[in-house]
Amino acid sequence: MENSFALVGKGYLIVAADTTAARSIVKMKSDQDKIKALSPHLLMTYSGEPGDTLQFAEFVERNIRLYQIRNLYPLRPSAAASWIRRSLAESLRSRHPYSVNLLLGGYDIASDDPHLYWIDYLGTLSEVPFAAHGYGAYFALSLLDRYHDPNATLEEGLATLKRCIDEVSKRLVVSPDKYKVKVVDKDGIRDVEL
Amino acid sequence: MPGSMVAMTQPVQQSFNPYTENGGTILAIAGSDFSVIAGDTRQSEGYSIQTRYAPKVFRLTDKAVLAVNGFAADGNMFVKKVKQRLEWYRHAHAKDMPIRAIARLIQTMLYARRFFPYYVYNILGGIEEDGTGAVYSFDPVGSYERETCRAAGAAQSLVQPFLDNQIYFKNQTPAAGTQFPQHLPLTSVLPLVIDSFTSATERHIEVGDGLEIYVVVASGSTSLQGLQNLRGVQEVTGTTDGERVFVIRRELKKD
Amino acid sequence: MNTFVDLYSTTSATAQLRRAQKITEEENEEFSDGSWGSQAGFGTIVKGGPSFMVPNVPDPTSFLRLHTDDHADPSCRIKIQHGTTTLAFRFQGGVIVAVDSRATAGSYIASGTVKKVIEINPYLLGTMAGGAADCQYWETYLGMHCRLHELRNRERISVSAASKYLSNLVYSYKGMGLSMGTMICGWDKTGPAVFYVDSDGTRMKGDLFSVGSGSTFAYGVLDQGYRWDLTDEEAQELGRRSIYAAGHRDAFSGNTCNLYHVKENGWQFVGNYDIAKMHYEGNGTGAGPYGYEPRITGEN
Repeated sequence: MENSFALVGKGYLIVAADTTAARSIVKMKSDQDKIKALSPHLLMTYSGEPGDTLQFAEFVERNIRLYQIRNLYPLRPSAAASWIRRSLAESLRSRHPYSVNLLLGGYDIASDDPHLYWIDYLGTLSEVPFAAHGYGAYFALSLLDRYHDPNATLEEGLATLKRCIDEVSKRLVVSPDKYKVKVVDKDGIRDVEL
Repeated sequence: MPGSMVAMTQPVQQSFNPYTENGGTILAIAGSDFSVIAGDTRQSEGYSIQTRYAPKVFRLTDKAVLAVNGFAADGNMFVKKVKQRLEWYRHAHAKDMPIRAIARLIQTMLYARRFFPYYVYNILGGIEEDGTGAVYSFDPVGSYERETCRAAGAAQSLVQPFLDNQIYFKNQTPAAGTQFPQHLPLTSVLPLVIDSFTSATERHIEVGDGLEIYVVVASGSTSLQGLQNLRGVQEVTGTTDGERVFVIRRELKKD
Repeated sequence: MNTFVDLYSTTSATAQLRRAQKITEEENEEFSDGSWGSQAGFGTIVKGGPSFMVPNVPDPTSFLRLHTDDHADPSCRIKIQHGTTTLAFRFQGGVIVAVDSRATAGSYIASGTVKKVIEINPYLLGTMAGGAADCQYWETYLGMHCRLHELRNRERISVSAASKYLSNLVYSYKGMGLSMGTMICGWDKTGPAVFYVDSDGTRMKGDLFSVGSGSTFAYGVLDQGYRWDLTDEEAQELGRRSIYAAGHRDAFSGNTCNLYHVKENGWQFVGNYDIAKMHYEGNGTGAGPYGYEPRITGEN
């Protein structure tokens, strides 16, 4: 089953998503990157209906890029979140809605702080200090309620993320074994090995 | 009446069912320089026989014969449309469409109805441009393949195993020092076709009444001799040179 | 009434079809002659990409589901071929593509000689799982567009671009009942490539894929024997052995194995192997017999 987690810390934001692509009982791929870098300071995880996920993620990616090309500056995280939410809400009211759940995280270079948005396929948007999608959320949310610290350092933040991943691996029946972790801060986006 | 009250209050689900199954069986066998395409002529719906003579096998050109089986109305419509497209081709190119092109045409025509399929199983038989006998079989939405022999329709599961054994020599071992032939001569194929249908008629209620066997023979083929003194044979060739088409009509049991 | 509503509706299935058709049509206005589904010189009768007839009912998708065998209801009249094992993997020497040849309709073996490898062009192969007609038709259609790409750009299409074209195409028909699980295999500037594309719209790049009801059995043998630096002979043997394994354990797969090898200058057909023969006698290249019993007794 697909899992994704994200949390904000002091001046940074961590995003993690599992890397398995499954079809019925078969794992078809174990190194699938499900985190898109939408702009120099914006990350998005996507999960849900096969096919819809990548189509929608690429649609978002290109529109965010188009905005940057036209206006010479990127969309701020809050604006991007609003635009993505509206796209999903409009899609929901069409014949073929995208069934995609997202975590959108970015570092706002204008206000110098990280922002995280939890978005589901119904077009629900909420700004949160930490978030999760998939069955892993049932374990991770309580854990993050207990351990998350918005003022933690990056090392501490990564340790908290590792707690989430370890807990899900320990307790969830069909848990993914590999995760991709990305961090965004004032310097931009980078991959992290846990 | 309580019944009518229910009918007035309950929503009524209308369902659109434009399909039925009209029984019958078709089969085709390709030889080295001929092709045999056959079908029975009974048309039925459920346990009722609608007619004892409804042809399922149609001559398209001098080198192609099409057999259709499944839903008769769709089948007749489909054959009509294929014939129309072949006539247009003739007007545009002043020649008959080669059989491999007809096969691809049938694929696109069937696939154009992917979301409202013709409920028809098609078997196309005839002579290829290189003079060899060919059989193409299709599923209702257009997937196709060239084969040596194929049975379709109600008695498919009775006839095909017999053909596998007698044409492809499946589950047979050749006598020491001998080999099974790649292609059988027309004189061996015709009795196999007739036996297939008499046997299917014995064991399947939807098969019977009449049998129409089309034989397409490449020009200059020696198979022509096998047809000369055959009972009930009739030539239906359109042009004078090139391939020749014959039809052999036989009776099948009518009970 | 429905026709009228459909004509102006933007959310009906027919509207979706119109949009999907526009996708297939748009890029080749100037090629919109009768080359596809030739009109024999009467090209104006059908213009552009393929067009589909749709039943005049409120929900054509459920109509189709009602009348075609969707695996769930075997009593349906129009059987769509199901059950398959196909595999493809990338290795040092190119791409190996191996498939079985069985087509089933319910429990009846409709054919044992199906060609499940579709030769898109001399350097691209596609495999067939799911609806036979869907795979055959759309991969043929893909072949046409690959040729147009060559004519327009004076270079061969990449495997990535070809597979994305197919993926976008089937995605535009999502939910309409298409059924295909295919691997697009080839060799381009980047070297050997395998892409998995299915009718959900999923498309992924990978080293090793297997699709179909027998895929789990094929994976069992394939994963254990797979290495990047396999020799050509070892790789071909692994493909064959994996299809044999699936044919042996999955009732919906079997008959024969078709083996292809994609190299730098295009694909070549390696051979057709009888699965029963591989069980008892081996495949004729010295390997086998594969059957558990013959193998164990042979060891003693």
